[in-house]
Amino acid sequence: MIKAVMMMNTQGKPRLAKFYDFLPVEKQQELIRGVFSVLCSRPENVSNFLEIDSLFGPDSRLVYKHYATLYFVLVFDGSENELAMLDLIQVLVETLDKCFSNVCELDIVFNYSKMHTVLDEIVFGGQVLETSSAEVIRAVEEISKLEAASNAISLVPNSVSGWRGR
Amino acid sequence: MAGMRGLSVFISDIRNCQNKEAERLRVDKELGNIRTCFKNEKVLTPYKKKKYVWKMLYIHMLGYDVDFGHMEAVSLISAPKFPEKQVGYIVTSCLLNENHDFLRLAINTVRNDIIGRNETFQCLALTLVGNIGGRDFAESLAPDVQKLLISSSCRPLVRKKAALCLLRLFRKNPDAINADGWADRMAQLLDERDLGVLTSSTSLLVALVSNNHEAYSSCLPKCVNILERLARNQDVPQEYTYYGIPSPWLQVKAMRALQYFPTIEDPNTRKSLFEVLQRILMGTDVVKNVNKNNASHAVLFEALSLVMHLDAEKEMMSQCVALLGKFISVREPNIRYLGLENMTRMLMVTDVQDIIKKHQSQIITSLKDPDISIRRRALDLLYGMCDVSNAKDIVEELLQYLSTAEFSMREELSLKAAILAEKFAPDLSWYVDVILQLIDKAGDFVSDDIWFRVVQFVTNNEDLQPYAASKAREYIDKIAIHETMVKVSAYILGEFGHLLARQPGCSASELFSILHEKLPTVSTPTIPILLSTYAKLLMHTQPPDPELQKKIFAVFKKYESCIDVEIQQRAVEYLELSKKGPTFMDVLAEMPKFPERQSSLIKKAEDVEDTADQSAIKLRAQQQPSNALVLAEPQPVNGAPPALKLPSVNGNTEPQSMARALSQPNGNLNNIDPQIPSPDLLSDLLGPLAIEAPPGAEGVPDEVDGSAIVPVGDQTNTVEVIGNNAERFHALCLKDSGVLYEDPYIQIGIKAEWRGHHGRLVLFLGNKSTSPLTSVQALILPPAHLKLELSPVPDTIPPRAQVQSPLEVMNLRPSRDVAVLDFSYKFGANVVSAKLRIPAVLNKFLQPLQLTSEEFFPQWRAISGPPLKLQEVVRGVRPLALPEMANLFNSFRVTICPGLDPNPNNLVASTTFYSESTGAMLCLARIETDPADRTQLRMTVGSGDPTLTFELKEFIKEQLVSIPVGSRALVPAAPPVAQPPSPAALADDPGALLAGLL
Repeated sequence: MIKAVMMMNTQGKPRLAKFYDFLPVEKQQELIRGVFSVLCSRPENVSNFLEIDSLFGPDSRLVYKHYATLYFVLVFDGSENELAMLDLIQVLVETLDKCFSNVCELDIVFNYSKMHTVLDEIVFGGQVLETSSAEVIRAVEEISKLEAASNAISLVPNSVSGWRGR
Repeated sequence: MAGMRGLSVFISDIRNCQNKEAERLRVDKELGNIRTCFKNEKVLTPYKKKKYVWKMLYIHMLGYDVDFGHMEAVSLISAPKFPEKQVGYIVTSCLLNENHDFLRLAINTVRNDIIGRNETFQCLALTLVGNIGGRDFAESLAPDVQKLLISSSCRPLVRKKAALCLLRLFRKNPDAINADGWADRMAQLLDERDLGVLTSSTSLLVALVSNNHEAYSSCLPKCVNILERLARNQDVPQEYTYYGIPSPWLQVKAMRALQYFPTIEDPNTRKSLFEVLQRILMGTDVVKNVNKNNASHAVLFEALSLVMHLDAEKEMMSQCVALLGKFISVREPNIRYLGLENMTRMLMVTDVQDIIKKHQSQIITSLKDPDISIRRRALDLLYGMCDVSNAKDIVEELLQYLSTAEFSMREELSLKAAILAEKFAPDLSWYVDVILQLIDKAGDFVSDDIWFRVVQFVTNNEDLQPYAASKAREYIDKIAIHETMVKVSAYILGEFGHLLARQPGCSASELFSILHEKLPTVSTPTIPILLSTYAKLLMHTQPPDPELQKKIFAVFKKYESCIDVEIQQRAVEYLELSKKGPTFMDVLAEMPKFPERQSSLIKKAEDVEDTADQSAIKLRAQQQPSNALVLAEPQPVNGAPPALKLPSVNGNTEPQSMARALSQPNGNLNNIDPQIPSPDLLSDLLGPLAIEAPPGAEGVPDEVDGSAIVPVGDQTNTVEVIGNNAERFHALCLKDSGVLYEDPYIQIGIKAEWRGHHGRLVLFLGNKSTSPLTSVQALILPPAHLKLELSPVPDTIPPRAQVQSPLEVMNLRPSRDVAVLDFSYKFGANVVSAKLRIPAVLNKFLQPLQLTSEEFFPQWRAISGPPLKLQEVVRGVRPLALPEMANLFNSFRVTICPGLDPNPNNLVASTTFYSESTGAMLCLARIETDPADRTQLRMTVGSGDPTLTFELKEFIKEQLVSIPVGSRALVPAAPPVAQPPSPAALADDPGALLAGLL
């Protein structure tokens, strides 16, 4: 089972954090900080695995990927395959890339709610829900359409870039 | 997500904050704003609600506690429109947990969404339940979710979520799925064409099978079918092909499910599966594209696990090892990492260890990998593969690595090196070398266990002693040595330094001066060890060297007034003992051999290790250890150990018990003063010595207490009781919590509550050691007047654990008999048993009661003479000043009523006694003392029940004379003179009245 999905930037700022076992907010922050402090000291070209028993308890594993200014982290237990989890990060990133065409940290920051939607289509209650990024995008677009339909009457700009340009 | 300007503005503001303080201010402002808005429901449009709730979630992610607005989030779930409902579901599942009360409120709405027709709503509801649904949800929603999963009309989008939602409900309540009815459905689900639904269903299957594989055996061939379809036929839609690999996740899940079935019986299924596995093993290559590599190796490593699980033919196994051998040397670090990890797992399979050993040099290279994750795996593997044949190479590599390893790894590394050295040493001197090197290189990380162990081996192997002593001599010469090295060297040189006497630089006085140089640099716990060493050096110098004696005596004198009790005691005792000639020789003779026991190191490592079945430590158990390190056979229990000569048991008591107490000069001095819970450095090392003490000496100090009704300490006892059981019992008679019994392995504490004639005691059985205590038995032997009910005590107390066992007590009638706890347990092969008195004594059923003279005298008069009122002159009383005696009475809940008796030398007291037969009964007492002779008094006790009066009188008498045996003899036989009533007493004085009544 996947215990947590985290995204944080290279300064340690959390960009998205979802824990599949309930944890109080202080504990969540402690774990995020703990993971970051280990990640930031890792050189390039080493493995994507980390031993984090001290943070998450026995039999927990962590894989991470580092893209530009962001770390993507998955924490899970012994019932999952490490490399398959690493692949799942890749699926998540590729999906985001398609959603935002060349995703960057700023997209993730300002589309906070969309990030949740995407993640919920990939990981569900700590289990892998969907591994085809095409399927994920289809589901996400469907949701966006529904939102747009009910927002049509409101006078809010349709995209973030609309106001960010000002 | 389309348009939520407020949220974007807020995020942007947060981003512009220069520091954490500014961020906090901005967040607080926003939270205040949201709070105000939530209070004013009227202006709160659903859109605004949605915006605010998103902000709350964002704030939550930033690490701020959002403790309000949960109701608003939950209420959005029942909004009719999609966007509000959506945010309600998402935020609720992030902020709330399964036990939150608000969640129960939403259960109906959630159910309506699940059984409703709107698929989008179904998805939202399933996601919520799948993320935070608890038992309540499992009970009310499982059938609905099952229906969705097997429905033919639902879209895959809904069904795959239903599968995982059902998995969550099953985890929360395994009864949510009835295996009999569901197994067939599950098998059908595995025929699913849609890969999304199939992947989710396979995840569900993994959970179900791990719980009950028999019920789902029909799913086994289906898993093989899935693998054939993917891996052999590549029958997969394009979008589920990931970097050219047919859905690696589904392949992995299917193979994972198969690992939960113990075997595959059907030969056809087995054959098909092995064909697929063979294809995976052979068809995977390391390629340039990282993602493709990861995907294909995810499948490959899962296949390896499955092959190991199925215990395939040797040929396939060696194929796997060959593959792993290739992996641990590839460039791709992930594959190196997993290669090492899987090789460690492979060690569990018999017959392949030799093939793995061929890769030893490559594995040792990995110990220098730039990636710490890989280095750790390499360490684990080396540790797991070590045996007698390669121990020397591997341990020496570990020692070398120790100097460069990062601090976070050093402790583990030193522990592992120490264990391997102990377990697989080709010879003993090598073992000593390794441990001393270990202490030298990484003293901070060498726990006491490690050096205790080396001392045990040296003590038990005579051949080793001169070698160890000369090694210790070498190390002690170094300028800056670790304190642990000082300890171990001092100990060894004290015991065996005399074996080197003829070598240059090794005379007793030379050893003393070099060791004494270290003394100023060491901490308090090391000083006692050095003092013992000095005493031993002195003892070994024959004929005595007056020069050395002078120096050492000066040291002892210096520490005679040391503030540390342990140091002070040793200094005083050694100084005293050294004047005693032959006794000195006896007491300080060489330590006897240690009994063989399981290495505490290995146990410690077992505690540290937690990677369950893959743990290399488990393998240790299966491997043949080296025979080099076998501790000598323990001494027969009834034969006195040769070196530890005890004076004859028939000798006079005084020196005997002293010699006995001092016979362990380095160890448990607790016998002498049980009040000092000395943090005994060497207790682990020296504790078991008691096992070898001749039984004749056992229990001598305990029997000092003459009032012991029950013999404390059994002949079968093989451990040294810490403290004095009788004293402990007496203390507990007067207080309600404390320690009842203690030995090196267990401590029994007690806590009691008394109400009327009922009592509730709790026994706390704490295992002090690092291995379990087994065959634990506690039996209550109740006296006739007490009804006792002890809750069962578990058979085993895990290491360092404490179990509690309540004991219900009911007092039926007055009696001074005592309940006894017959307690026993096994530690290793030793059976330890003890009979302990339970402090459920008469005074525990007393309730303090203070009476005024108006209340006291009518009662006193009402009780007419014997047998309800008894009088006795008691002699041999412990001389106490009157206030002290009053305190004593109060302490056992017989309340002194001051001022009632006009004679200041008399005491009047009252209390209430509770038992089933008497109910609450008033008891009165009067004590007349003689200021001229404090050792005698006259006592009058009265109550409404003759037995009670008698028992209470006897009880008080026991308290007044209960002094350690021996001092009773000191009491001079005084003439029985009662103080005559003071003639000055006035007739109308209540005291005089009282006196008249008496």
